[in-house]
Amino acid sequence: MSVLSMIYWTAAIILLLLMFMLMYPALSQDISVFESILNNFPLELRQALGLTTLNLSQILGYYGFVFIYVLLIGSIYAIKSAMAVLSEEPRSKTADFLLAKPVSRTTVVTAKVLSVLTQLAVQNIIFIGVSYIIMLVYGRGQFNVATLVLVNFSLIQVQLFFFAVGIFIAAVMKKIKTVLPIALGVVFAFYIIQMINQSINDPKLAYITPFAYFDVGKIIQNESYDMIFLGINFSIIAILTALTYLLYQRKDMPSI
Amino acid sequence: MNVIEINQLSKYYGKARGIIDVSFDVQEGEIFGFIGPNGAGKSTTIRVLLALIYPSSGSARIFGQDCIKDGPEIRNYIGYLPAEVYYYDHMRVIDLLRYSASFYRKADKNRIYRLAEIMDLDLNRKIDDLSYGNKKKVGIIQGLIHQPRLIILDEPTSGLDPLIQQEFFNLIREENQNGATVLFSSHVLSEVQKLCSRVAIIKEGRIIGVEDIKALHNNNYKKFKIQLAETVSSDYFNIEGVADLTVDENNHTFLFKGDINQMIAKIHDHRISNLIVEEPALEEIFMHYYEREA
Repeated sequence: MSVLSMIYWTAAIILLLLMFMLMYPALSQDISVFESILNNFPLELRQALGLTTLNLSQILGYYGFVFIYVLLIGSIYAIKSAMAVLSEEPRSKTADFLLAKPVSRTTVVTAKVLSVLTQLAVQNIIFIGVSYIIMLVYGRGQFNVATLVLVNFSLIQVQLFFFAVGIFIAAVMKKIKTVLPIALGVVFAFYIIQMINQSINDPKLAYITPFAYFDVGKIIQNESYDMIFLGINFSIIAILTALTYLLYQRKDMPSI
Repeated sequence: MNVIEINQLSKYYGKARGIIDVSFDVQEGEIFGFIGPNGAGKSTTIRVLLALIYPSSGSARIFGQDCIKDGPEIRNYIGYLPAEVYYYDHMRVIDLLRYSASFYRKADKNRIYRLAEIMDLDLNRKIDDLSYGNKKKVGIIQGLIHQPRLIILDEPTSGLDPLIQQEFFNLIREENQNGATVLFSSHVLSEVQKLCSRVAIIKEGRIIGVEDIKALHNNNYKKFKIQLAETVSSDYFNIEGVADLTVDENNHTFLFKGDINQMIAKIHDHRISNLIVEEPALEEIFMHYYEREA
């Protein structure tokens, strides 16, 4: 079941990328017209959409612009899967089956966590491979492969952030009836924070959203990650995961 | 030896009462009844034993080990049938049972077929398509595949038709004769009466008594139903030892414990048109019990 879901979501991400890249050859010929239209937008809006830091006339800049939406979809998938897998027992009322077996709660969490991580890993391998091929076709060698790799590897890191948030929410909440609305809400909340962060340029806001930790425009500009943000992201993932284990260990499974 | 030792176990859900100071022991090899009205705390107690919920205070030991700390280890030897049965809907019965068996070191998968035959369950159907009673059968089988040393049954018979119920009781007796200890929770007294040797009675979260079923029966309560041919005052039979006296015209019904001759003498003084003296059902003894405790 969840494998099928992984395939659908990966296909969605790749289709999105492909559709945008198909437009690139046409777009790049009239890039000056396109940019002048964009320049008529208010500055704050352009900042919010990340258009001020991305150079659309370069294929990598354009890729970065599309990649923001890849990140969004990937994040929704990550948090949704994480929440679903850990809230499965209270939701499907099978706690009295699974947790009455001779397995510890820790083992259960580990198995669940690993299953989602495996799917995320497979998804990323597929995406990185396919996106490289697409870039080879449309970029004709006019981009820095190392930078592309850096950009692409931010997907799994942002996904891990939302994965950790997802299992934490599932461990805290007594019972989650439907996963997707919460997943969408959380991801868009963090994305809106990033949009505000980009448009008002408040450095403090950047610390609370993974979309700022892995700001695609800056990664392409600097050709590197921001090490502080990298560390913060890793710490948040580690802390939330540890808390999830602790909370799930002592969680009362709701009776039916 | 005690298989289950429950020691002043309490569980609150926030401020709501779950169970309060529950203590009782279940000895090895017995079929122990756990009885009380719905919502009294039977399932709460059982779910603490399986570490599905955590006690607010107190402790419980199974096979001498702590049911929370050593839970994963001791659950190897426990078979549990929950009060409400829910399984993964998309699975077939046989897949679910194989999955269930895969958790245990000592699971003989051939037992699945034997148990399914006894319980008359089609293994190839999807869980989703099963009736409530059939899901219950799946629950019973998944609880017995690994020949557990302790079988915990929470309201096992609801949804089973009488014929299957009988098969089920035979199965439990057989497991018991092969050495399994059984904790049997129910709100139906007659089935506990049929199966159990001892019983704990729970009411509003507290244990109000642990009784020997035989002792309860030997309590010498007799149930009298007397139809008199003449009218007497409504408290004519209300002598020492009479309980639950109801009078409907000339029909007098009550429980009596004491010297039977005394009662015969009272009856002898009047003309009667009908007389029935019988063993009271445990239910009636319990009702009496509950009222006394309340």
